[in-house]
Amino acid sequence: VLSSCWKRKQWYQRRVRGTKETELQKHIERVKCVDWAPNTNRISTCAGDRNAYVWNLNAETGVWEPSLVLLRIERAATYIRWSPAEDRFAVGSGARLLSVCFYDNEHDWWVSKHIKKPIRSTILCVDWHPSNHILAIGSCDFKCRIFSAALKETNDKPEISGWMPKLSKFSALLAEYETQGWVHSVKFSPSGDRLAWAAHDASINIVHMDSKDSVIRSLTPSLPLLSIIWASEGSVVCAGHDNYPSLYNINGDTLSAGTRLDVKEKKAGGGMSAMARFQQLDRTGADTKDSTLGTTHQNAIVELRVTATGGDGTCTQFSSVGMDGKMVLWNLDALASSIADLKI
Amino acid sequence: VGRDQTVISSGINAEYGELGEREMAKNVNSTQFRTVDVDAYDEEAYEDEARVQDDSGVAEVTERASKVKDLLSQMKTKEALVEALKSPPVGRDQTVKSQNYDTVMWVLKSFKGSDIDAAVADLSMVEVDILMKYLYKGFSCSPDKAANLLLWHEKVVAKGGLGSIVRVMVDRKGV
Repeated sequence: VLSSCWKRKQWYQRRVRGTKETELQKHIERVKCVDWAPNTNRISTCAGDRNAYVWNLNAETGVWEPSLVLLRIERAATYIRWSPAEDRFAVGSGARLLSVCFYDNEHDWWVSKHIKKPIRSTILCVDWHPSNHILAIGSCDFKCRIFSAALKETNDKPEISGWMPKLSKFSALLAEYETQGWVHSVKFSPSGDRLAWAAHDASINIVHMDSKDSVIRSLTPSLPLLSIIWASEGSVVCAGHDNYPSLYNINGDTLSAGTRLDVKEKKAGGGMSAMARFQQLDRTGADTKDSTLGTTHQNAIVELRVTATGGDGTCTQFSSVGMDGKMVLWNLDALASSIADLKI
Repeated sequence: VGRDQTVISSGINAEYGELGEREMAKNVNSTQFRTVDVDAYDEEAYEDEARVQDDSGVAEVTERASKVKDLLSQMKTKEALVEALKSPPVGRDQTVKSQNYDTVMWVLKSFKGSDIDAAVADLSMVEVDILMKYLYKGFSCSPDKAANLLLWHEKVVAKGGLGSIVRVMVDRKGV
């Protein structure tokens, strides 16, 4: 079951076949981001009204009930993500701070702790490391940062790892990387060893935790990418203003050239009769009627999400949502066989 | 202005201050507050780090100009192009930047139309980006050379794609 977020005051829940199931209305400003925690079955939404809600499904009535999260931010919330253990979530906002929210059992509500320094501008994207204690954020101050999110309140016992070589407390900055443009999307690889981010200077950057200073940077020939996901430990799928997703492989120190995943067969020209073509030519000045783009999405792709993974953790299916209002499911294994030279 | 002014108040709201008379002491000491730079205290002010002085690439500019001259006189236009595009000065020193700009323009002018394809094909993506930045600078500074620059632009876009143009727009330091 997938959910889609609309840039209106409410948002809709959809089943796989595309029929709207329920409308969840609570926010009074545009809903900026939605995340669904599959194991605990909770949905969190955040909006321009500076609030976030956690929705719990009432098993008896089948109704989603919202509970308010006290974010204590003065600007719109822009991004929200559940952590892998689903006991907390992070909300990025235009108030230049990140709120990590956890459940306070005593008072029966969600409380937030802020990470403020040294973030200097709006946070655009957040991703959790599989260990549940480390987060990466991309923001409008052209930087991608990694923080420790180990909370005392939830009795976290963080372990030393490549990203956190010595135990750090909450909001300690673990790494910082700079790009030329806003960082639109940031993602940890499935194992958490690598971090990839896409910035507005049409680049894809990947760094491995063992060699934190050497960033693999690919200056792509495409328009800026807005979303990036890992198809496997060694390859990423990204999409953005070019309206199609493409796959990049990591070859040692470099990124391969991207293979376009949206391959459409061109329709044979026998659609129109000769008379119709001349009429069209007379009326509009062009002899073909087709004004659609040659890609599945007709406008920028805003978000990619992995919807199904295979046995070894590689992505077999992902979904893309675009500004054209479409949600498209892509089967990577089917594409792998149909596009020559596609290695995942 | 450093003195107290006393104002005689009239009528109903006469306050009895320290002077004990029907006067109001009005403190108009200093208007210094008007000269305080309020923006300096603004916590939300964003300082773009790209504005910090960057001296990279300044030292080699003159040396590069002569190297490029040599290469061009030997008709090694491809090598001259690669040499001209190395580490451009991106700081705030305009004289150095325009000197490097002249070098690059001179190289671009020395190419025959048919040789451009081969030269661009051998450039790395970083060099392509730098070349694109100079092309756009050329469009704005030397509109008379536009015809030649447009020819280069077409070839460079074929190699670097729209991404290289985006990187020119997004670049905050500029060549």
